Amino acid sequence: MADELVNLTIDGVPVSVPKGTLVIEAAKQAGVLVPHYCYHPGLPVAGVCRMCLVDIEKAPKLQIACATQVAEGMVVRTQSPQAKSGRMGVLELLLINHPLDCPICDQAGECELQDFTFQEGRPATRYSPDYAKRFNPVEDFGPDVLYVPNRCILCTRCVRFMEDVAKEPVLNVSERGDRAFIGIHSDGRLDHPWAGNVVDLCPVGSLLSKDFLHKARAWELDKAASICTGCSQGCNVTLDTRENVVVRVRPRPNLDVNRYFICDHGRMNYRWMNRGDRIEAPLVRRDGELHATDWDEALDVVASRLGGAGGKTVALVSPKASTEALFFARELFRGHEWSGAFQVVMGEEAPLAGVPNLALRAERAPNGRGAELLGYGRDYASALAAAETAAVVLVLDEPDIAVRTAGKLVYVGTVLPERARDAEVVLPIANVAEEEGTFVNRDGRVQRYFQAKPAPGMARPAWWVFAELVATLQGGGHVATAADAFDRLAVSVDAFRGLSYGQLGFAGAPAPAAAVPA
Amino acid sequence: MSVSPHPIPQPGTEEYQPVFAGPTLEQLSEILKRYPTKQAALLPALWLVQAARGWISDRNMAEVGEVLGLTAAYVKGVVTFYTMYHQHPVGRHFVQVCTTSPCNICGAEAVVKALLDATGAKELGATSPDGKWTVIEVECLGACGFATPVLVNDDFIESVTPDGVPDLVKRYK
Amino acid sequence: MGYPHKPHPKETVVLSKHFGEADARTYKGWVKRGGYEMLAQALTLEPARVIDVVKESGLRGRGGAGFPTGLKWSFMPKEKKKPHYLCVNADESEPGTFKDREIMRWTPHALLEGAAIAAHAIQAEVAYIYIRGEFTEPWAVMEKALAEATAAGVFGAIKLYLHRGAGAYICGEETALMNSIEGKRGNPRIKPPFPAAAGVFGMPTTINNVETLAAVPLILKKGAAWYKGLSLSSPKSTGTKLFSVCGHVQKPGNYEVTMGFPLKDLLFDLCGGVPPGRTLKACIPGGSSVPILNREETEGCLLDYEGVVEKGSMLGSGGVIVFDDSTDMVYQIMRLARFYAHESCAQCTQCREGTAWTTKILERILSGQGKTADLDLLLDLADNMTGKTICVLSDSCAAPVVSGIKKFKQEFEDYIAGRRKPVMVA
Repeated sequence: MADELVNLTIDGVPVSVPKGTLVIEAAKQAGVLVPHYCYHPGLPVAGVCRMCLVDIEKAPKLQIACATQVAEGMVVRTQSPQAKSGRMGVLELLLINHPLDCPICDQAGECELQDFTFQEGRPATRYSPDYAKRFNPVEDFGPDVLYVPNRCILCTRCVRFMEDVAKEPVLNVSERGDRAFIGIHSDGRLDHPWAGNVVDLCPVGSLLSKDFLHKARAWELDKAASICTGCSQGCNVTLDTRENVVVRVRPRPNLDVNRYFICDHGRMNYRWMNRGDRIEAPLVRRDGELHATDWDEALDVVASRLGGAGGKTVALVSPKASTEALFFARELFRGHEWSGAFQVVMGEEAPLAGVPNLALRAERAPNGRGAELLGYGRDYASALAAAETAAVVLVLDEPDIAVRTAGKLVYVGTVLPERARDAEVVLPIANVAEEEGTFVNRDGRVQRYFQAKPAPGMARPAWWVFAELVATLQGGGHVATAADAFDRLAVSVDAFRGLSYGQLGFAGAPAPAAAVPA
Repeated sequence: MSVSPHPIPQPGTEEYQPVFAGPTLEQLSEILKRYPTKQAALLPALWLVQAARGWISDRNMAEVGEVLGLTAAYVKGVVTFYTMYHQHPVGRHFVQVCTTSPCNICGAEAVVKALLDATGAKELGATSPDGKWTVIEVECLGACGFATPVLVNDDFIESVTPDGVPDLVKRYK
Repeated sequence: MGYPHKPHPKETVVLSKHFGEADARTYKGWVKRGGYEMLAQALTLEPARVIDVVKESGLRGRGGAGFPTGLKWSFMPKEKKKPHYLCVNADESEPGTFKDREIMRWTPHALLEGAAIAAHAIQAEVAYIYIRGEFTEPWAVMEKALAEATAAGVFGAIKLYLHRGAGAYICGEETALMNSIEGKRGNPRIKPPFPAAAGVFGMPTTINNVETLAAVPLILKKGAAWYKGLSLSSPKSTGTKLFSVCGHVQKPGNYEVTMGFPLKDLLFDLCGGVPPGRTLKACIPGGSSVPILNREETEGCLLDYEGVVEKGSMLGSGGVIVFDDSTDMVYQIMRLARFYAHESCAQCTQCREGTAWTTKILERILSGQGKTADLDLLLDLADNMTGKTICVLSDSCAAPVVSGIKKFKQEFEDYIAGRRKPVMVA
């Protein structure tokens, strides 16, 4: 049955939504955010917090928007006096035992209890000072998660996540009544590979990340949309930076990739983005040593030394490099006897059982598929062997490889390894947090990532470095932006035909001819 | 709930003896036939544990979980919901006295006091020094016309009065 | 029968006819008393036919909600596509109520027969009888009776099982009961879905109270018209009801009277009135979750679903709690609030926090620390706790508070103003 549309009115705004839509979701279309806690689109409906009470014409009592389906002609009022009074009642009751921890609580500034209390709560307490608030000590649930029972509003999002999405019910609700709290078994630890999501899901500062504890205030953070570089799943993330240091990684919703979640491996995988030991200036070999110089000279040197060398070229690239960079690095050697390869670190797969096609993938790199589509292979051993006798070896951001060559080594990377001291030229580039670009995930989805912080020193995006060299050596215009870089790529490579940055937006799109290999 | 003055065995000092072996396992197997899911046998399984051991430890909960295909945390969440399951050892005679309003207005609180004195338990939830008695107040026992009802383990005794308490206590060794 | 007293002439002894007869508990004894004939007959009838008879009789749920039983059965799918289940609610935990216990320990076969007939009517192959954990004697009696009847083969293909609760009043709520059977915390479920669509194990389910089912064999035997005739007033309330009378009466116990019976007669005639030298102060007619009636309302109240509503309360479970003038109403209302706070499952914010806060405020008033603003606060809290939660435990806590403040305001004010000696609550 095709999606029948149902027409209803929410706060006077008419909306049309598919049959079966929940009122709380339909309200979003009307531009109305119904206050809520326990409801989450990625979790089964619980209907316990009672925060989303709304007035529905003809219904004798207030209804919860998260558990009510739309009906033809329904008239919903979220701002009626009864609805507001009902919600104010819920807020008051949540706050009677909730401690005034805002000054020391990580959640402040991104706390839904703060937000809705400001919006529609009571201005003053009727509980204190007559009674002491309920007190329980902080508990350590596991590798990264702390539980502060005093702040818990028992929305049970965490319990439902572990039970229904992670499919490992290691969190429970213990006890009954106002003695209830979130518990684990004495032998248990919250070490599931996807457990960190409970911290994001917690609407208040009850479940906290030890990694982020007291690190930064929510309002100090700048946010940039990015793609996780931890594996080939391509989960959409947000990088939170404070004064140009990445301090936190959180999931960004994408219903086609990671829904609302990221794994702990990806979540913790950001410190390298802040490394201080970066190459900050282009280096060229003169008199047997590497000397810092400017881009003009560095690019001239590369062009002259490459232009002369015919013959075999081997490119050893990182599967973390952007698609644009990989494209131009390939273009640079059009006409040469070229081979390119990449190597991917492998690890154990860890699926999120309750979500189809979502896992921490064995391939621990974000752009292996992109590299493949651009002609790079996986036979690293052969490539290394070929490099020994190649005329030019380009190493793109692979500090750990043991490359030996009789020819000229061009090292383009973020950090300078020992071996690169033999290079002809070393060119500094931005890392994933410092540039715009795209990755292609294992399913062939092309996704954009955005710049979160400035690149250090004179480092530039890798796509720019190679595009400049291409312009110098082959003619054709200079490429001004990453979007232009992608456009050039889309025109030249069948797998990306028809795509553009505008099209990809924040959610990405499947590359037309890039189905997952069997 | 209760604070027992008796030493609670430290976990890990002796090898764990499973509850679900032999006749108890057979009983559970029979019970499992009644339900379409293993999980539905959880409350009956917990009763079997309590009947065998007198209380339900964290380790017991893990065993029940293994037998029924549930996590230990899940079992614990269920155990802590239902007040009749003991999560630590209690006196040999576990006494529950109803003090909800219908019994309350018929003198239930005096019965509680009499029991605390006569058993030597002294405090609600505490176990008497000889280990024989634990007395707690409970909510409505569904025998309001027979105030005050008292459960001693599985013995449901009706119409208890403070005067009748000493005899009641004497009946239990 | 005014069990444990001899039947009073004004009683209409139907369900309680064999209370006190030890022999009635045995299979043979029950058959001698005409038992299991109607089950045998019912099993030969079309399920729809059985539903029609019960519908016609006007039987309404005796657990507290008073929903028409035949109508409830008719919600089950007519076409059988999945397993159907019957759940028998023997979780009786509503303060003031102790009738199902008597039915089970004196006439277990009446319940078993009624349950089997109901199972047949709703096309259920399995029935779970959920008995609260504290009912050790009814459990033992039911276990024995079930074994004997099963061995005698009277249930045909229907399987009846006992399932023991473990101490949770909330498991008397039908959806919480189903969750408890499934091996979960006894949390009530949001509706929809309704049990007849997706109940226990996600299958179509009907939940019925013990007293409701015990009436079914007799309705089949003597006919719907007979049952309808057992009513003194409203045609909407038919049959008899076991009223559990307790508290300050001389002869507490279960009394079986026809619907519409005057509450005044029940208390003063059948139960012998309040203790000597005392006067009636208040009465809760239907278990602690319904509003308290003052003396005047009590004396003018007729005991059927509509009659009690007319007086501002509800028939509920029929647990009649009588308070004489020695009662500290504030203390008892506090004790009831504490009951609800103890039993709250913790899902809904209003119930979880509201029941506890209500209790705290009442304790503070009792201890002499009350403020005039407290009464308005209590009423405001009660309003927030009413009509906004998954189940009505929250509303049930509010009921005695609201009716208590309305009708016994002086007692509260006396504590607040310091005119009454404070009571330190443990």
